[in-house]
Amino acid sequence: MNQDEPQDPKTSDQIGAFQYLGRMLKGSHEALGAIYRSIFRGPYPWNPRQRLAVIVNNLVLHVHPTRVYRRSISVTPTFGLGLICFYLFVIEWVTGVYLMFYYEPSTTGAYGRILDLDYVVAFGQLMRNLHRWGGEAMVAAVVLHMCRVFYTGAYKPPREFNWILGVMLLFLTLALSFTGYLLPWDQLSFWAVTVGTNIASYAPLVGPKLRYLLLGGNAVGGDALLRFYALHVIAIPCSAALLINYHIWRVIKDGGLAHPQENLAPAEAKAAAVPRAEVVVQTFPTVLYVELAVFLALMAALMAISLLFNAPLEQQANPLQPNNPSKAPWYFLGLQEMVSYSAFWGGVVVPVLLTGFLVALPYVDRTPKGIGVWFARERRSIVVVWTVILLVIVVTTTIGVFCRGPNWKFYWPWQAWPGAPV
Amino acid sequence: MEKWVAVTGIVLTVSFGWALRDNFDQEWAKYERTYYSLALVRPHTAVWAKSQAVEVKQVLPTQVSTVERCVTCHIAIDDPAFKDGREPLRQHSALLRSHPPEKFGCVICHGGVGRAVTTMEAHGQGEGLSDPLVKGEYIEAACYNCHGSEALPIQATSAVIRGRQLVNRSLCMGCHQIEGAGGQEGPDLTAVGSQRSWLWLYAHIARPESVVVGSTMPVFPFSRDQLKDIVIYLLTLRGGLEQSRPTIAPINSVESNSTGLSGVAAEAGREMTGPGLVTYDGREVFNGAGCTMCHSIGRRGGQVGPALTYIGRKRDAKNLAKLLRDPAEALPGGKMPQLNLTKQQIDALTTYLTTLR
Repeated sequence: MNQDEPQDPKTSDQIGAFQYLGRMLKGSHEALGAIYRSIFRGPYPWNPRQRLAVIVNNLVLHVHPTRVYRRSISVTPTFGLGLICFYLFVIEWVTGVYLMFYYEPSTTGAYGRILDLDYVVAFGQLMRNLHRWGGEAMVAAVVLHMCRVFYTGAYKPPREFNWILGVMLLFLTLALSFTGYLLPWDQLSFWAVTVGTNIASYAPLVGPKLRYLLLGGNAVGGDALLRFYALHVIAIPCSAALLINYHIWRVIKDGGLAHPQENLAPAEAKAAAVPRAEVVVQTFPTVLYVELAVFLALMAALMAISLLFNAPLEQQANPLQPNNPSKAPWYFLGLQEMVSYSAFWGGVVVPVLLTGFLVALPYVDRTPKGIGVWFARERRSIVVVWTVILLVIVVTTTIGVFCRGPNWKFYWPWQAWPGAPV
Repeated sequence: MEKWVAVTGIVLTVSFGWALRDNFDQEWAKYERTYYSLALVRPHTAVWAKSQAVEVKQVLPTQVSTVERCVTCHIAIDDPAFKDGREPLRQHSALLRSHPPEKFGCVICHGGVGRAVTTMEAHGQGEGLSDPLVKGEYIEAACYNCHGSEALPIQATSAVIRGRQLVNRSLCMGCHQIEGAGGQEGPDLTAVGSQRSWLWLYAHIARPESVVVGSTMPVFPFSRDQLKDIVIYLLTLRGGLEQSRPTIAPINSVESNSTGLSGVAAEAGREMTGPGLVTYDGREVFNGAGCTMCHSIGRRGGQVGPALTYIGRKRDAKNLAKLLRDPAEALPGGKMPQLNLTKQQIDALTTYLTTLR
């Protein structure tokens, strides 16, 4: 077979766009081809052997295995949620740097800079919207990703530690979003962070100290803004970036996606490195193309949302005029709702129990049953436990977001609050 | 798969195109272009207009630390050719000459959001923002805030004075404090002018519950004009913010009078001891001095203080007189404010109150 020609017409792994690129590089565009070879350390990969090489020989691409099970790139096993989390992180990084060009972390300057971004900076409003909605989407995507991993039993050995890395990344994501929440320095952010850090202060013994450490004082002020800024733009994103690398690396080291074991013949399960062609696809070009497609879809959705809805901005922060109701960011409203029943239970017991549950889960539930299967029958009891916890969080959060009005009184979403601002 | 990618690719491209259009199709550019095109046809401005770029124009007032971009749309404020122009292309009144935007900006008098360059946001009608443009006579408060009372012609401060009289007469300070004097029941009003907008104040005084949930403030039967005067007066209360005022030379080289406690108290004194009010009917004093704001007799009156329907059974005239003279001494820790009543007023009140049995 001619190594330089398109081949294998019977497999569906050929991507027209990629092949077009390959022909272009080879044909009249010699200069382009030379640049391509300098980057990818070889010609456009026409045959399977070259396709392995292009993955292995590239710093970015080599986080992939050279071949994956066809099941891994279909929709239902993962819904692409891990990849979406990663993309959102990258989008946050890029748009965040753009916002940093204009932002100033001081109580006198911050709000004005946000107004400037919204009103006069070229694409400032768009970038702020992308950053805001991307951040909120990232919190949601990380939680959904975690639920996916749980419901498919993908935290079981040998993936226990990667679950722990994931839990850390969940907390880092929440911290990223929470620290970013304060930066516009408007009424919404000021009071949300006041409420959020008050919840933190309910922790026994260390609570008030923790709050002091977080805020650099006893109340939200200039030092808190500076501290949240440093955490938001350097400390947490860099830690998260390192952990994300570790997380993804462990996915490959732990054998890729969790697959249902009965689907593989015993011999194949042992020698998964040379799987059969029907169940396996090459990373180049198929997986890369799927990843590109997910990125395009995500970016299109985020752009559309950002063009249609502006990131919220209220009046400049005023420590003398509390918002009524003052609400924490939405992902903490479940906690705030529980705190409104009991500060100790909502502010201390529930968060500690939840964290303990998440950390202990992969080390307690070690039976190798139901791996890679959604809602496996063998795991019914633990699935019920998770679902109940999730429901409680979703219900309390929903009440907190939609049904709490002035003085934390209950209102249906369609009921008008008394004293709507003029 | 490839079809799917093509569709999302198209959506993405359209979105980027939309964003690009949003970025270049700006409301303010329309006004500027209109202005320059009109300037082009006038012989003495044609050359100048040709050299002007359509861009965001901003002022960094030397006396106020802000950035203001109002002149981006209101580009004709100093152009006599637009004396009768339609907003935003309209010449400012003669006051502009003594109040150059380069020195004071626009927001200090007109309110609004100086950084914004769209009508909605700049005029404070954006979502979540409430720095509404100051309309009509409410601007008077701004004159007063910088110049004080003595330096201004009397007609320019009449609303402030009327408002202050109304505030004193209605005994707002039975519940509210202004610069340390007054009751503790309601919020301190010392700096209310720098905290609330005229719209908020108007709506709140007209119908307290409509703005502040669970407000215990009574609804006063003010007319619209009275409400306006009170709001204008309240806007001049900017306690502690005097330092942020621009430095200006007094207009008539007369020291501006303080709006502080002495003025308010003097006003209250005049009200209470005026020559026409020597003899009193106790019931009139009770209703006129604002007692009904907090206390009820029968079904009428406020709920803040105890009901006085049967007060004559509980306290005798001597006891009541002592209480009215100095509530803080008679009821330590109580909320009852010092009303500064005269001896005659106290006598009349006690006589009336002892009849309530």
